[in-house]
Amino acid sequence: MTVKFLSLAVKALKQTIRDRRSLFFLLLFPVVFMIIFAFAFGSPSSLGTGTTPHEIAVINLDGGATMSVNKTTQHINAGANLTELLGNITYEQTDTHMFHLNNVSADKAETMLKSRGLDAVITIPENFSRAVVSLVNASARTEATSDIGLQVINATAAQTAAPSGQLPATSALLNQLAKNTTLPKQSNVTAQVIVEGDTGSSAFGAAQGLIFNVLEQYKSQLQATTIRQVDATLAQNQSKANIDYISAAVKPLTGTQSFTYFDYQAPGLIVFALLLQVSSVAQDLARESDHGTLARLKLSNMRSFDLLFGTLLTWIVIAVAQILLLFGVAVALGFKWSGGANSIGLAVLVGIIGGIASISLGLLLAAFATNERQAAQLGILIAVPVSFLTGAFFPLPNETLGTAFGTTFQVYDLLPWTQVADALRQVLIFGSGFGDVAVYVGFAIVLTAILFVVGVISYSRVRLRSK
Amino acid sequence: MESGNVSKVRSMTEQSLDQTTDAYALQVQRLTKRYGDLVAVDDLTLQINKGEIFGFLGPNGAGKTTVINMIVGLLSPTSGAIFINGQERARVSKRSIGICPQELVLWEELTCAENLIVMGDMYDLPRAVTNERVRTLLAALALSEKAKTRVSQLSGGMKRRLNVALAVVHNPDIVVLDEPSAGLDPQSRLLLWDFIRSLKSDEGKTIILTTHAMGEADTLSDRIAIIDHGKLLQLDTPGNLKKTIGSGDIIVMHLAEPEQNETVMTDLKSVEGIQEVNDVGGKINIRALNAVSLLPTILERVDATRARVSDISIRENTLEDVFIYLTGRGLRE
Repeated sequence: MTVKFLSLAVKALKQTIRDRRSLFFLLLFPVVFMIIFAFAFGSPSSLGTGTTPHEIAVINLDGGATMSVNKTTQHINAGANLTELLGNITYEQTDTHMFHLNNVSADKAETMLKSRGLDAVITIPENFSRAVVSLVNASARTEATSDIGLQVINATAAQTAAPSGQLPATSALLNQLAKNTTLPKQSNVTAQVIVEGDTGSSAFGAAQGLIFNVLEQYKSQLQATTIRQVDATLAQNQSKANIDYISAAVKPLTGTQSFTYFDYQAPGLIVFALLLQVSSVAQDLARESDHGTLARLKLSNMRSFDLLFGTLLTWIVIAVAQILLLFGVAVALGFKWSGGANSIGLAVLVGIIGGIASISLGLLLAAFATNERQAAQLGILIAVPVSFLTGAFFPLPNETLGTAFGTTFQVYDLLPWTQVADALRQVLIFGSGFGDVAVYVGFAIVLTAILFVVGVISYSRVRLRSK
Repeated sequence: MESGNVSKVRSMTEQSLDQTTDAYALQVQRLTKRYGDLVAVDDLTLQINKGEIFGFLGPNGAGKTTVINMIVGLLSPTSGAIFINGQERARVSKRSIGICPQELVLWEELTCAENLIVMGDMYDLPRAVTNERVRTLLAALALSEKAKTRVSQLSGGMKRRLNVALAVVHNPDIVVLDEPSAGLDPQSRLLLWDFIRSLKSDEGKTIILTTHAMGEADTLSDRIAIIDHGKLLQLDTPGNLKKTIGSGDIIVMHLAEPEQNETVMTDLKSVEGIQEVNDVGGKINIRALNAVSLLPTILERVDATRARVSDISIRENTLEDVFIYLTGRGLRE
C-alpha cells in the first residue's frame, strides 16, 4: 500500500515541475532578481559601501597625554593621530579614500548632518589620549611580565655556556631588566568615541560600519605595536627608539573593503523566493478546489492530514531547491560566503522554516480565495510587501516594539521571515553556527508554528469539511 | 446529524423504513435538502436495485446533482436518510461508491495513468492491483496508447472517457455517472455506452446515470426516475413510461408567428382524437393516436385562426414526450 501523503506529495511535485510557468515563477524569477541585484549592488563602486569616500567630520576634543617611552617622556595626541588616519585610509587595492574629512566646527557639522551633507560626525572625547595610554600601558605590562621568566632562563643558559671565568652576576640581568623594562604604571581611563548620524540613512549605516572597523583596527594595532616594542626592548634592540604608534598601524581593513550591498541582499533574496511560495501554494490549493479535484479526493479514503502533510512535503522540497539554487547563483555572482558545508546545511534548515511559514500563509489564502486566480494575486499582493518588510532588499528604519531577552525587537521581527532573513545573513555571511542564530531560529519556529496552526485550521474548516 | 434525522424519519415512516434491506443497492428515504427558502430536493424516496442501470432524468435545476452529491457524501442532507446495501451511508466504506462528475475533474499536468494511480492510492489499493486496474480501464476506454500522455494534451472525448475511468478505478459496487456523455462525439458515445453496459454485465455493478440524452436513458437504463423541483414525478422502466402517456404520434408544428401559438393551441384542444397539445420551445406539439388522419383537420383549424404554418412534421412518441408530459418543459441539450 502506498502512503497517501507521499503519493500526494509526488503528484504535486510532478505538477509543479511540469508547469513551466510556476517553475519559472518559483526558481527563475528570484534568480533574475539575484542577477539584477548583483549587477546593481555587487561591485565595489555600487551604492553604500563602495569606493566612494564618505563625507564625515571629526570633532577632536582630545586634550592629549604624556607617556614614557624608553624612559623619555613624550606628549602625544592620539585624537589627532586617529583623525589623520581616517583622512588617509584608502579602500583596499585602490587609491580612493574611505572618508573625506570636512574641517568644520561642531555646530556646523550638526547642521550638515541634518541636511545629509555629512554621512557621520565623529566626536573624539577629551580623554582619548589618556585612554590610549592606559591601553598601551596595560598591554606593555602584560607582555613584559609574561616574558620575565623566559628572560631569566635565557640569561642563565648563556652564563653556563660562557667559556671564560667571568661570572656575570645574576644582578646584571636584573639591572638590565630594570634599565630597559620599566614597567609602566597602570591607569584605567576609558574613552568613548561618538559616531553620530541619521540611523535611517543607509549612507550612515555604511559609514558607521567602516568607522567602527577603523577604530577596532586602530586599537589592535596599538596593542600589537606595544607588544613588539616591549619585546624589542627586552632583546636589547634599541633601533626603534621612538615608537610611531600609528603610522605602522594602518593596514587595509579586511572584511569591509570588499563587502558590498549585494552581500546584505543575497540572503534576503532567498527569503524573497521563499515568500513567492505563498502565491504558488495558495494557487495550487485553490486550483484543486476550482477544478473539483479536491472534491474527488475528499470522496476517497484521503484524510485531511494526507493532503496537508503532502502539501507541506512538496513545498519543503521546492524550498530546498530554491535555497540551494539561489545560494549557488549568489556565490557565482560574487556573494562573500564564509563558513563551510555546515553553513549551507544550517542555511537550508533555517530556510525550510521560512518555507513552512510561506506554506502556512498559502493555506490561509487558499481557504478564503474564491478562485485560483484570486489566490495567486492575493499571494503576490502579500508576498512582495512582506519581502520589503522583512528587510530582504534593504534595511528598514527602527520601529522598536520593546526589549526582551536582552534583544531589542522591531515591529518587523513579528514576521517569521525577518527572523529567517537575519539568521541566513549571520550563517551565510559570517559563517555563524547554530548557537549564534538560535534566538532567530527559536523565534522563527514559534512564529511559524502560530501561522501554521492558523493556516491549517482555516483551510480544514473551509475546504475539507463536507457542506 | 444523519442518525438524528434517521430517528425522526423512522417515527414518521415506520413501515417503509423497516424495509431497509441489503436487497437494494441504494435506498433514499424522505431525502430533503434546503438552501434557505429554496427546497432543492423535496422529500424524495426511491430504491435502486442491485446490478441495475438506473436513469435519473430531470430538467436543469431539478435537483439531480444535489441528490447525487448527497448519495456520494459531498453534501449533507437537511433531513432524510440514505442507505447503501442496507447500511447507513456514513458507515459505508468510501470504496463502495464511485462518481463521475459532470465536469472534467482531472489533473491536467499528470498523465492518464498517473491520474488513475493517484486515485488508486487514495483508496488504499495495493499498487499492483492499481496498475492492473489502470491497464484494464485504459484498454476498455480506448486510451491505452495515451497512458503516458499528459491530460492537457488529450482531446475532449478522451478527457471525458478518462473522467469515467477515474470513477471506477477503485472497483466500487455503485457507480454514479453524472451526464457522462455530454459533449461526446457519436463514436466516443457508443464506446462509452458499451463500457457502461460492461460495468453492469461483466462486473455486476449498480449504475446511477443522469442524462439529458433521452436516447441514452432509453437504451441504457433498466429503470428511469423523472424528477423536477426536487420531487419524484415518475419511476418505471422506459417501456412502461412510454405507455403511461399512451401510444401514438407527435405532430410538431411551427407557426410563422409564434405569438399565435396560444390561440391555435386552445382551438386544437377541442378537436376529437387529439390527446394533448403543448408548447415546447415555441413549437406546438400535438399528440394523437392517429396523427396522419388528423392532419387535414388540424391544418383547417389553423387556417381558420388565420395563422400560417411554416413547418410541420410527424414523429413517434418518445421518452422525451413522457418527460414533457410530466414536467411541462423540455430538456436542454
